[in-house]
Amino acid sequence: MATAPPALYRLESLRLAPNSPAALVPVSGWRVRAITPHGRSDCAHFFCTLVPLNPTLALTIFGAGAVAGALGVALGLGGGIFLVPFLTLALGFPLKSAAAISLSTVIATSSSVSARRAGNQLINLRFGMTLEVATTAGSLLGGITAQLVAESTLERLFGVVAVAVAFVMLGRINRRNVMVDPTVDTGRLGGRFHEAESGGVVAYRIKRLPLALFASFIAGNVSSLLGIGGGIIKVPVLNAWCGMPLRAAAATSALMIGVTATGGAIIYYGHGDLRPLLAAPAVLGVQAGSWAGTHIAENASVKWLKLLMSALLLVVSVLMFVRSLR
Amino acid sequence: MNRPSPARLEVMIGEVLRFGTMASSALFAIGLVMVLAGYQSRLAQALLQAALIILLATPATRVIVSIIEYFRERDWMFVVLTLVVLAALAGSVVASHL
Repeated sequence: MATAPPALYRLESLRLAPNSPAALVPVSGWRVRAITPHGRSDCAHFFCTLVPLNPTLALTIFGAGAVAGALGVALGLGGGIFLVPFLTLALGFPLKSAAAISLSTVIATSSSVSARRAGNQLINLRFGMTLEVATTAGSLLGGITAQLVAESTLERLFGVVAVAVAFVMLGRINRRNVMVDPTVDTGRLGGRFHEAESGGVVAYRIKRLPLALFASFIAGNVSSLLGIGGGIIKVPVLNAWCGMPLRAAAATSALMIGVTATGGAIIYYGHGDLRPLLAAPAVLGVQAGSWAGTHIAENASVKWLKLLMSALLLVVSVLMFVRSLR
Repeated sequence: MNRPSPARLEVMIGEVLRFGTMASSALFAIGLVMVLAGYQSRLAQALLQAALIILLATPATRVIVSIIEYFRERDWMFVVLTLVVLAALAGSVVASHL
């Protein structure tokens, strides 16, 4: 009787939380550990009446992923910052489980976006690899920390980061790519790429490497803890203080977050918080959404979208704080 | 400091990422459809599991490919840097069992 239960159940009868979604991890024999929004608890199969993942829930997760993915492309950030609060606040997932699912979509987005971009030199591989040392160290630490701190602490942290992201988005509402002198000496870490819009070559030199490393470390840390990509932390820093053009910073960051998120996702996976059956609709949704996003979003009303989403993130932040007080 | 064949590594990384994304998405889709259609079979679970593993392995493979390419170019500085990144990922694997 040691068959592993399928990934997600809705608990019909468990003294803790009837009717809430829960991931079940087999412990031994026919004991399983139910991970519910209210924390972990061991229970025997005998006490749980279980209903597996149903099409409605799968479709909901897929839809949420698609919206988050499309928004991510339109706003130039990953979809994680929207997907995580939806999974926790609307569907009642524990934050760790939501973060783990979101990390898997972050990896998928990073891989598919970077695969499309590879070859046009927008991605600065050397600089990216250098910063990855900091992001992966940060994500390793964040992943371990996430297992140690209370759910409510993570919720409050998400609240804080959501506010920060909202303000960064508002502050950069009119930001455009800056043309840099193409004859500049790019140094060992700098780069050069052809810009299609202006038809010119953009060359840049990296400044303030320690700051870039520090921002990457924090980004990696937050990424693992909260299930977001972390581009929203790195890209503004690289662009504003480290001399990197916005496009190159975004492309390089997009490549980096794949490895960063993998570090965190592996830890969640090992602890049973990352269930393939839940990741599947989310990953497919985000892929569909970001594909649609690149084909639809033509900068039309990105400004209004940014305002709207900043407001939404402020609401998310409040809800996360309220949730952490339960 | 000139940059030896940056395009080559970029193209190889692109191929790795493209293959990884397509393989994992396809397996996720097949596994999910099977589960939703009512086949709670061992095969469906295995496909979903494989999809997730491929997803996680893709960025790691990209790092390994970079190490090999920098090694080939005798760019020791970047061999070391990418090895550190790989070590951090290995650290995650260790931490996932703690």
